[in-house]
Amino acid sequence: MSGGTPKILIANRGEIAVRIARACLKLGVDFVCIYTAEDAQSGHVRLAREHGAKKGLYRVSSYHDANELLAVADDSGAGALHPGYGFFAEDYRFARRMQRRERPLNFIGPSWQVIRDLGDKINTKRLARSLGVPTVPGSDKPIYDEMEAEKFARTIYEFQLQQGIEHPVILVKASAGGGGMGIEEVHDIDLFRSVFRRIRNYAARQFKDEGVLIEQRIRDFNHLEVQILAEREAANIVHFGTRNCSIQSDGLQKRLEAAPGFAPASISYGFDAQKLLDAITAHSLIMAKAVGYDNIGTWEWIVTRDGAPYLMEVNARVQVENGVSAAVTRIRGEAGVDLIAEQIRTALGQPLGYSQEDISFEGSSLEYRIIAEDPKRRFSPWVGRIEKFQWEQKDWINLHTHVPTGEPYDIPTEFDPNLALGIVWGKDLEEAKRRGLEFLDGLVLEGRGSHADELKSNVDFLRARTEGVLVF
Amino acid sequence: MHMMETEKQIQRLNERLAYIRDIFADKDKPDVNLLAAAMEKHLLRSPSMNPSELREAALALEEFFASIEKKLDHELSPMDLVRIVRHPQRICLRDILENVYDSYTEIGSMDEHSIDPSMVIARAYITRTSGKRSFNQSVMIIGHEKGHGEDFRNGGSSKPWGNAKALHYMKVAETENIPIHTFVFTPGSYPVEDTPGAAQQIAANIYEMASLRVPVISVISEGGSGGAEAISLADRRLMLSHGYYSVISPEGAAAIEGRLRGGGRAANDLVEACAERMKITAADNLRMGYVDHVVIEPRLGARPFHYDFFRTLRHELLRVTDEVSISMRGLRPFREMRLRSRRKRAARGLDFEKAYVRWNLPPSAQIRLVNRRHKKYRRLSRQAAPDKTPLSRRISAAWQEVGWGLYSHFMHDMIQKRQQKVAEYVDEVKSEWTLFFERVLSPWNKLLDKILGASERVNRETMRKLTELSEWNVSLEQRGGNWVYVSARAREDRAVSCPNARVHGCLDLWAPDLYGEFAGVCPNCGHHFPMEYQWYLHNVFDQGSIFEFAADVECGNPLEMENFTPKLEEAKRKTGHKSACMVFEARIHDARLVVAMLIGDFRGGTVGAAEGEKFIRAAERATRKRVPFLAYVHGTAGIRIQEGTNGLIQMPRCTMAVRRYIDAGGLYIVCYDTNSYAGPVASFLGCSPYQFGIRSANVGFAGPGVIAETTGMVPPPHYHNVYKALARGHIQGIWDRREMRFNLSRALLTMGGRNLYYR
Repeated sequence: MSGGTPKILIANRGEIAVRIARACLKLGVDFVCIYTAEDAQSGHVRLAREHGAKKGLYRVSSYHDANELLAVADDSGAGALHPGYGFFAEDYRFARRMQRRERPLNFIGPSWQVIRDLGDKINTKRLARSLGVPTVPGSDKPIYDEMEAEKFARTIYEFQLQQGIEHPVILVKASAGGGGMGIEEVHDIDLFRSVFRRIRNYAARQFKDEGVLIEQRIRDFNHLEVQILAEREAANIVHFGTRNCSIQSDGLQKRLEAAPGFAPASISYGFDAQKLLDAITAHSLIMAKAVGYDNIGTWEWIVTRDGAPYLMEVNARVQVENGVSAAVTRIRGEAGVDLIAEQIRTALGQPLGYSQEDISFEGSSLEYRIIAEDPKRRFSPWVGRIEKFQWEQKDWINLHTHVPTGEPYDIPTEFDPNLALGIVWGKDLEEAKRRGLEFLDGLVLEGRGSHADELKSNVDFLRARTEGVLVF
Repeated sequence: MHMMETEKQIQRLNERLAYIRDIFADKDKPDVNLLAAAMEKHLLRSPSMNPSELREAALALEEFFASIEKKLDHELSPMDLVRIVRHPQRICLRDILENVYDSYTEIGSMDEHSIDPSMVIARAYITRTSGKRSFNQSVMIIGHEKGHGEDFRNGGSSKPWGNAKALHYMKVAETENIPIHTFVFTPGSYPVEDTPGAAQQIAANIYEMASLRVPVISVISEGGSGGAEAISLADRRLMLSHGYYSVISPEGAAAIEGRLRGGGRAANDLVEACAERMKITAADNLRMGYVDHVVIEPRLGARPFHYDFFRTLRHELLRVTDEVSISMRGLRPFREMRLRSRRKRAARGLDFEKAYVRWNLPPSAQIRLVNRRHKKYRRLSRQAAPDKTPLSRRISAAWQEVGWGLYSHFMHDMIQKRQQKVAEYVDEVKSEWTLFFERVLSPWNKLLDKILGASERVNRETMRKLTELSEWNVSLEQRGGNWVYVSARAREDRAVSCPNARVHGCLDLWAPDLYGEFAGVCPNCGHHFPMEYQWYLHNVFDQGSIFEFAADVECGNPLEMENFTPKLEEAKRKTGHKSACMVFEARIHDARLVVAMLIGDFRGGTVGAAEGEKFIRAAERATRKRVPFLAYVHGTAGIRIQEGTNGLIQMPRCTMAVRRYIDAGGLYIVCYDTNSYAGPVASFLGCSPYQFGIRSANVGFAGPGVIAETTGMVPPPHYHNVYKALARGHIQGIWDRREMRFNLSRALLTMGGRNLYYR
């Protein structure tokens, strides 16, 4: 790109920082990296040393401190900021601040209004309902009154019985909560009131808002996602297909993703899978248009065994697993799509340059997350030193990591223990699975520390799950 | 023998000279010098005199002293009076007990072993005769004891527990139906925050005294601020002619006037000037109506050897107590007649010792007594708060008031009570009828269901209900960052540091976030930054529901303090209000209420005559309309000292209004924001049974600086914080600013007086 484009401050670490830096290099944009003391040997620091702009690397005390971050941006002369995922990615206040401060910065992500509106689960649900997008049966506004809540809960209970569900379960959650806090299941409707009170008091204490949401508990579902990309000003919105993220570890951490979302060619489902995928992409696009979506984002869906889709939430940011969608996408028939580069391009105000008709899909792709966890100990993080990390280079493998391959690497205890993302591609699901197993076999991951051998059982966990991918 | 007496005489004169020197301090008075010279001359000459010459000379000297003392007595400045009442030779309560009453028993006091040696309680009696019979008339004596310079008495500064003891024995007197005589000898309350705190206890005292059902007579010698108010709310207030009654000590006023901080001492002439300007003398207070009668003291102040003075005081106490008692008993025409004849006889020189009057009151007279007391205080300080409402509007407001009074009476007190019974009856009949109807129609309905497949229909209906958009009016919520009014400070691009950053590790906050969405609350530690009063005005109450009244009651400069009028004008211009108290009607989630808001931006939210008047009107309006009454304290620094006693008298006045409102069955809630100190907290705010503060607010009696200056001890950090106030039992809860509306709404729904109709 030309010299008129602003320098980009990468306000993140780890694998995503490496990917953003690579995308910048590809686009020819200057970038600035930040790092903390624990991350001194991380990949993005090396990249910034080798390729970054002058004044391109800053050591900061924390990735969380907005003031420090903005001071770095001002000092380095950066004109845009990429938040990656986590940290400030979904902090609409931060996005708003960047736009409204005296020296405005371009926030590479959706506009703050969009982040705010879609970041609130009640608002998202109400928006979806107003557009006719299916959502989980239940309340779409906080309920404060106990009598009203019980009446509502009974309705949901009977509704489930009518649907033939033997053991109806009701979910009671704090409307202001998040991250799994303040959620409880009700199995016995007569105990509803006590649960309601407990959640209400918890919510009042924790979130300063007593509102409670009551929903049907959907059991036995698949987690699907629709990848959306839009130009600034929401002129042109396209989707990059669906992916299936149902295979998760105990801590509800996604471990194995596949694109596209279902494989009706190889596996038979109890419903019309292709029609369902089309329906959720259509719904997602309708909603993206309605909110004026203007960057990359993901619409998350849950699909029941009967093939009923419900919108769960919208992630107004780039996701870890965007690479798996990119792997099966062809723009005008060409492979090598980099969604992060596309995101940066559109955020800087460039047009997409293609429309939905130019996008096609080919083959099947799997993404393995290599995480230093211990499957035998409820996936608790593994801490220690990675002695050896190698994989076989193949043209169908795309591996993103910030871990150095030639030297030992100490896993910082301050952050999540993500090590790498391995994306394999095959012309159909069978080939993708085969290549996936091949990739896992060729992976060398050796560490030193307590339970070092459990690193290998991590890989075993992925190997075992590969068989079951996309089977409902 | 004669020699001895003459020597004693000279010695006494010497003591008088020393006393005079103390009174006039370091002022260079020619008369005092004259006395000193005469005394010196006499002492020089005396060795060469024979006894009769000596006696002559001593008599001449004494005469000379008397004439000079008379002259000096006329020239006393207010500050000299302050020095007189503070002098160790000043009469104290113990002297009065010994000399005014015939016999007494001290209660709970063995000097330094007393719970609070500066507060003395005693049961005493006065023996009077009626014909051949004699009666012992009991009274409860409550008063500050300064002593003659004993350290442990703390100079008459009673501690909260001393006031609590006083309150206890007021109630005892109420039970025993005997009058109370209170004696005020205090420079001010001791500003300690304990269980209870000073403000809390004074508020409780004033609140209870407002409706005490026995005659209360108070005698003021040294009336210093809140400490005096704690026991001086009375049916008749006597003041000793050399006493002072003031909102703050002249030194304190001078420190504020001279803008001194950190314990600096004001210059002497400034202190004198302040004492002069604040109108603290007995004559001034009599003129303004804050005391009813002045008891003339001997020249240069009463001292223990002035036995004549004690007789005068006894005489006055008897006269006043009799008058109160007579004016309450019996039917109205007889009351007036008896009172008039009594006054005539008194003017002709009635011997009160021989004119027995019963002091215990029958129940009807007790109610009359309390009503009279309320009326008496309601009338005070009118002259200091000019009501500039145009006549036409005043007339219409008066009509409205009458209308509302009538409406509330008919609608609420008469009709609504019966309406409820009718509604209950109708409900019962209705439910019976529905049951019957369903029973009759059930076979037909079952058949219909079978034919039309009703279960399917129901299912679709539930599906629709559970998955379609429901109605929800978000704009009614006004919470969670959805603010109607956003502070002007939210437009600055700057970072604000949280004061708790070191303790809680809070990151710096961006001003637009902090003052906009976060409502001035640190999201990490919950520290509340101060916000302007408009924020509450618009974000707590329903939009467009605010109706301000009595806006034209304007605060003035009743004591004509120098340089104060421009400051007042500046405050009026800055805030757009005519006083620091804004009174209005408003709604919260459609619940109506009357609000009095003390605005901290107007002269620190200080309370003067205008603010008190508006507060009382608000309480009266709430009573008339049968709605809850909320006192919202955006911030208050205390009583406005520039108004002197005009301000101080608002403490009992407003508290009595509150008492009347609560007794009429109302709900009185107080909310504290930022800092609330001194007088208002120690009276009409602190007396509420429902007080709530926001986090980081400070509630207490005297600020840390004042505590350090008066007690010599530096208070520990966060001494007045709401958490401490909560622990002391002063306030009843701590609310988050962002949840103010929600909490108030819930409080209105869950609490309620027995006579409120606002839902």
